Amino acid sequence: MRLARPQFQMTPPARRYFEEIELGETYESPGRTVTETDIVLFAGVSGDYNVVHTDAELMKTSIFGERIAHGLLGLSIQSGLLTRWMTPYASLGIAGLRWKFKNPIKIGDTIRVRAEVTGKKDGPESDRGVVTLARTVLNQRGEVVQEGETDLMVERRPAS
Amino acid sequence: MSPSAPPVTYFEDVVVGSRHETPAMTVTQAHVNMYAGVTGDAAPEDGIAPPLLALGLSTGLGWRIARPPLVVLAFMGIDWKIERPLRVGDTVHSRSETKVKRAMRDAGVVIEEHELVDQHGDVLQHGRFTFLVAKQGGST
Repeated sequence: MRLARPQFQMTPPARRYFEEIELGETYESPGRTVTETDIVLFAGVSGDYNVVHTDAELMKTSIFGERIAHGLLGLSIQSGLLTRWMTPYASLGIAGLRWKFKNPIKIGDTIRVRAEVTGKKDGPESDRGVVTLARTVLNQRGEVVQEGETDLMVERRPAS
Repeated sequence: MSPSAPPVTYFEDVVVGSRHETPAMTVTQAHVNMYAGVTGDAAPEDGIAPPLLALGLSTGLGWRIARPPLVVLAFMGIDWKIERPLRVGDTVHSRSETKVKRAMRDAGVVIEEHELVDQHGDVLQHGRFTFLVAKQGGST
């Protein structure tokens, strides 16, 4: 029996330059279930031990009824989810964000993110532009848990 | 002796214009690796911390000021700018100033301006955090 030759990707994955990104493009990520472990680890990494994330007994008496995830954990998870799923931009990093935490993320909730390119403008230097993505983070019931905009600095195609 | 609750800061005790500065912390490769593992949000390049990790550290440091902790019911929003990269090995601290307090029926909104500052005094990231804070007399 002949085995198929493994296919090796010899070139790095495509990176999209500023010129190639179009207004109105949309992206949707896979889901991810947020666990108690995620919250405990994020408290450890960030140093944010606020009782709303860490005191199960106190939170039983709160309006939420249980511990909730850090808003910034949700923000970081959606960033990771979307990056995993879209063809990467030739990104020089995030320049800013305007973000709202609309509903709590509870242990066991599964979140995903939808995004749309809503803005493109010149960057502070001529070799880059700013792409604005409007993002909506949804839970398993389709409720919006977080939403906002991120501004990403993206390289222009180098002159050849 | 009767047990007493740990001191906290309710909405009524928040003072507009008050400033706070946190202790500093050295950011290591371990922070970057743990953060990337937990969140799936990777570093843009070797030696640079993911910008949202820096934002997370800024909120974590914010709990280490001299004032008893704010009774935050919910983090409502962020308006944030990233000016410079945070490099592994940098030592950062956070500065904040209370800009706005707005009372509502059972709680209040507090807006703070935060800056994440490195060992050279350069501001790496800055912006506004909006919190919903409990009132001492409020029902939650």
